[in-house]
Amino acid sequence: MLETLNESHSASDHPALVEIVKVTKIYPPDVVALRNVSLSAAKGELIFLTGPSGAGKTTLLKLLCRQEIPTKGLIEVDGNDLTTLSDNAIQNLRQRIGVAYQDFKLLPRLSVFQNIAMPMEVQFRSPRDIRNRVTELMEKLGIREKQHKPAGKLSRGEQQRVAIARAAANSPLLLLADEPTGNLDAATTGLVMALFQELNENGSTIIIATHDESIYQGTNHRKFELQQGELF
Amino acid sequence: MRFFLFIFTQTLRNIRHSWGVQLMTLFTVILSVLIFSFFYLIYSNMLQAGEKFGEELRLTVYLQSPLNPADQKEFKEKVAAFGKVDKINFITSEQAFQRLAKQLGNDRDVLADLDPAFLPFSAEIYPHKDISNLTRIKEFADYLKNLPGVQKVQYGQAWVERFSHFVKLLRFIVIISGTLLILTTMFMVSSTLRLTLYARQDELKVLRYLGATNSYIKGPVLIEGFALGLFGSSLGLGALFFLFQWIKNHFSSAGFLNLFELRFLPMTNSAIILLGSIMLCTLGSLLSIRRLLKR
Ligand SMILES: Nc1ncnc2c1ncn2[C@@H]1O[C@H](COP(=O)(O)OP(=O)(O)OP(=O)(O)O)[C@@H](O)[C@H]1O
Ligand SMILES: [Mg+2]
Repeated sequence: MLETLNESHSASDHPALVEIVKVTKIYPPDVVALRNVSLSAAKGELIFLTGPSGAGKTTLLKLLCRQEIPTKGLIEVDGNDLTTLSDNAIQNLRQRIGVAYQDFKLLPRLSVFQNIAMPMEVQFRSPRDIRNRVTELMEKLGIREKQHKPAGKLSRGEQQRVAIARAAANSPLLLLADEPTGNLDAATTGLVMALFQELNENGSTIIIATHDESIYQGTNHRKFELQQGELF
Repeated sequence: MRFFLFIFTQTLRNIRHSWGVQLMTLFTVILSVLIFSFFYLIYSNMLQAGEKFGEELRLTVYLQSPLNPADQKEFKEKVAAFGKVDKINFITSEQAFQRLAKQLGNDRDVLADLDPAFLPFSAEIYPHKDISNLTRIKEFADYLKNLPGVQKVQYGQAWVERFSHFVKLLRFIVIISGTLLILTTMFMVSSTLRLTLYARQDELKVLRYLGATNSYIKGPVLIEGFALGLFGSSLGLGALFFLFQWIKNHFSSAGFLNLFELRFLPMTNSAIILLGSIMLCTLGSLLSIRRLLKR
């Protein structure tokens, strides 16, 4: 499998897609969310980020999509130093990063379909492409029947799947999933993980932050554990 | 092409989201355009009428005694010394008498016993356009009055003065309503769009997280401003046109409107109002975005 390959070879022969070097993040005034964290992910890798609540997992993902900037240290995604990137360049990069947020960040009044279509619209993809891709994703995650429902009227588990589908819509270069199975039963978790697997096989680099041991146990993907802002 | 399609659907989505306020704004723009162009229409018709009257304007100078051809030549030279004159006609007592008789028509027998000499010798002066405006005419009349042998100068002072005041007042109203048009459209459009942007704040935030470029977010707002200007001003001008037709049909038989032909705004002026309003509304939408991005 592709990811086992990446695992055995180091970042030196495969250029790293994500490079985090000695990053510290302090929320004002003095909440240290991350302390001296270094981590790199090769192109096409799938890695898990675990750790107790409040360990800094979400913070790390936010740094990777430039929602937050590090207090200290260097973050590079696809060769771009995120701290020095211009506004336009950030927006361009964000188009290639899919994020399934822990709090979903869906638009409650828009339908399931419209929510999932948003990142594709932002890239001016053709209406036909959008229809096909969104339908495919809804089918894979078992929310096809809900497509016309406003996202605000869905159950948490359904909303979570909409958030994941939206993150996957553009088959992003880098997919960040924050607690993607928190509200899902075992069967639905299986659907989500199958989607991630497929995206990964098609070249997406994926970072999954999770408490859910069942999704990383027995896989040979790399796993990092954060504790009180430090990486183990 | 696809870019425009998306911006367009996004615009429609935004409008559907807040059509109530948008409609209010549209009405404000329509009303402002209507009010302004209504006064402007009156003003331009008055100017036109004034011009026409100006062409027909003449001063009648009554002289103490008839002038012989040599004196007439000298008089002409003196008159021309003030300014350019299109034409000077000398009217003898007899000519004046005949005119009067003609005007009286069937009642001419009242003149039967009268000596034509009771009417004074006069000169009709048609001033050139350059001195047809009110102040110059006044100065001209004063100048003529002081020429030797002149008894009296007549030119319908009161009427000319009143008309000129009226035109001045109209010009003032046009300026005021034009300023109001500028302020209301810009202010209304920018604050409405800002309101709708506030309402969409969550959406804008998500759009930015999804990598939406500035043009993707700004484009629809600019188009909304543009559309408000386009529809607002064309509906306003359309309403003015119907109002104009209505007035023309209902009052054309009434006396004073018969004096001159009512005319709608010329194409160029309508186009200027249209383009100006579009520009103002687009500017208003730009303002709303600028304030938004500052936050
Ligand atoms: N915007 C913020 N301002 C201040 N402190 C914050 C902010 N966001 C997170 N924190 C703090 O930073 C620390 C790390 O938070 P983070 O959300 O990254 O944890 P997490 O590992 O994602 O936890 P969970 O598993 O519960 O989602 C926590 O102590 C949290 O209180
Ligand atoms: Mg978290």
